[in-house]
Amino acid sequence: MTIGTRLTLWYSFVLLLALVVLGGGMYYELVVERDETKAAGRPREPEGEEISEVVFFYAVPAVIVTLVGGWWLMRKALSPISTLTRAVERISANNLKERLNRSGNGDELDRLTDVFNTMVAGLESSFTREREFTIHASHELKTPLTIMRGQIETALREDALTEPQREILSSQLDEIQRLAGIVDSLFLLAKADAGLVELRRESIAWHELVQEVAADAELLGASQQLKIRAGQVEPVTVSGDRHRIRQLLLAITDNAVRYNQPGGFVEYRLLKEPGHAVLTVANSGPGISLEGLARVFDRFYRGDPARGRAVEGSGLGLSIAQWIAHSHGGTIKIESNVGSSTTVTIRLPVGV
Amino acid sequence: MRVLVVENERKTASFVRKALQEEGFAVEVLDNGDAVLPLVSSTQFDVLVLDIMLPGRDGLSVVRQLRERRIKIPVMLLTARGEVNEKVEGLNAGADDYLAKPFALAELVARVRALGRRGGDTGAILLRLADLSLDTVNHRAERAGNPIDLAPREYRLLEFLMRSAGQVCARMAIVEKVWGYDFDPGTNLVDVYIMRLREKVDAGHERKLLHTVRGVGYVMKEMTP
Repeated sequence: MTIGTRLTLWYSFVLLLALVVLGGGMYYELVVERDETKAAGRPREPEGEEISEVVFFYAVPAVIVTLVGGWWLMRKALSPISTLTRAVERISANNLKERLNRSGNGDELDRLTDVFNTMVAGLESSFTREREFTIHASHELKTPLTIMRGQIETALREDALTEPQREILSSQLDEIQRLAGIVDSLFLLAKADAGLVELRRESIAWHELVQEVAADAELLGASQQLKIRAGQVEPVTVSGDRHRIRQLLLAITDNAVRYNQPGGFVEYRLLKEPGHAVLTVANSGPGISLEGLARVFDRFYRGDPARGRAVEGSGLGLSIAQWIAHSHGGTIKIESNVGSSTTVTIRLPVGV
Repeated sequence: MRVLVVENERKTASFVRKALQEEGFAVEVLDNGDAVLPLVSSTQFDVLVLDIMLPGRDGLSVVRQLRERRIKIPVMLLTARGEVNEKVEGLNAGADDYLAKPFALAELVARVRALGRRGGDTGAILLRLADLSLDTVNHRAERAGNPIDLAPREYRLLEFLMRSAGQVCARMAIVEKVWGYDFDPGTNLVDVYIMRLREKVDAGHERKLLHTVRGVGYVMKEMTP
């Protein structure tokens, strides 16, 4: 039986009940009471009074019966939907194998359950395909890289090599490592897109990581005489994957140091706001144009080509940083004044 | 020392075999997972180098199988995935070490050697290389009698390099052991620290002890000038 039919039948029952109350009242007022007055020899009540008695003593209860009945009916009609919602909520990327139970009475909700189950089955198979694709593609790309690296290293062990030959082979080793790094980053992003990266959540003293990375920045920036300032750093705890959070900090720090000028600065500030920890990393970089800012999180985006600076990097660091911030329920944004400074702001929800 | 290499990719197996043989190890190569248990049960090997993706039984289940039978051979897993989860899974299955492809050959050799003599050397307290000494209890370093002032991370880096003196330490291995990162930080942090350390340890001395192995990493050893 469909929900529509069921609801109609139940509602007619409620209405019938209300009618019985009303009808019974009218019968008592207009027939039984009149007979009683007549028998007792009292004068008949005026009709207007009778009607208002019917309205107050019987119509009002009848309305209340319909209201209560209607409310009960709606609850009954909606309860399978809330059960279904709870069941749907339990299903996430991690347990796509789960299916919803059908109630078996062939109504609209059963059809919805079927459609949902079919959809989850489809999702499950595409997740599996994605996972397998990532594993296979990674294997296929890394096998040749492994062979190239191993063979070049083997060749470099030969004493008979001339210096120029050695130089070429060594430079190839560098490039292979760079390529391997890009392959790793790309696969991390591909898996992140597919929701396949697991985060190991724990409580993290965010300020300690910030201070650690500021110390690293000190060294990274030493050759450019950068001044590293840790301004106001308030103690705050966030919940997240320690490695990923560090990776995020390092990516931002690395950019802040690379895109800077000799004698410039990098400044860290960590503030606690209600519900959020707000980290800003400002630097005296050349700045990013407006078009650049719009694309700065795009994969392989490498800044304004016109500037043509020979800065190494894969162009994937900020994409990964963005994914890390988002996957921790946070945000990351970049603001810039061309020619003077750039500020990265990372907001993460405060943890316990 | 006898090493069994299980790797189905012919070229990889070939240069791994060559590199290990050059170190003086006796090497045997298998190209599938099913044959490992029978061979390891009948022949004594000191180290097993095992690829995870293999025809037949995969590397992880080979390790589990060995451990279930109480076969204690040190196992080094090789994998193309290099994910943190997989690493944890591999070590939980009973592997002793783990190397992500593409690995540095020099590092594979160094780690296989370390696995082979596991249990042999318990961490020495005083490390020496030429006229450089490192007291691992008081965290004090001296070169030719002059104390060297080291920041904590510089100390950890020097200790790691000196403990593996003579062996090449890959950059990723340094990142893992000294920084505790499981990911490639994508910065030249390691190189910067090495530069610092080199200034403190080698500057002003004729005999240099800290050397760069291009494309691989760093090594501490005595080289005659």
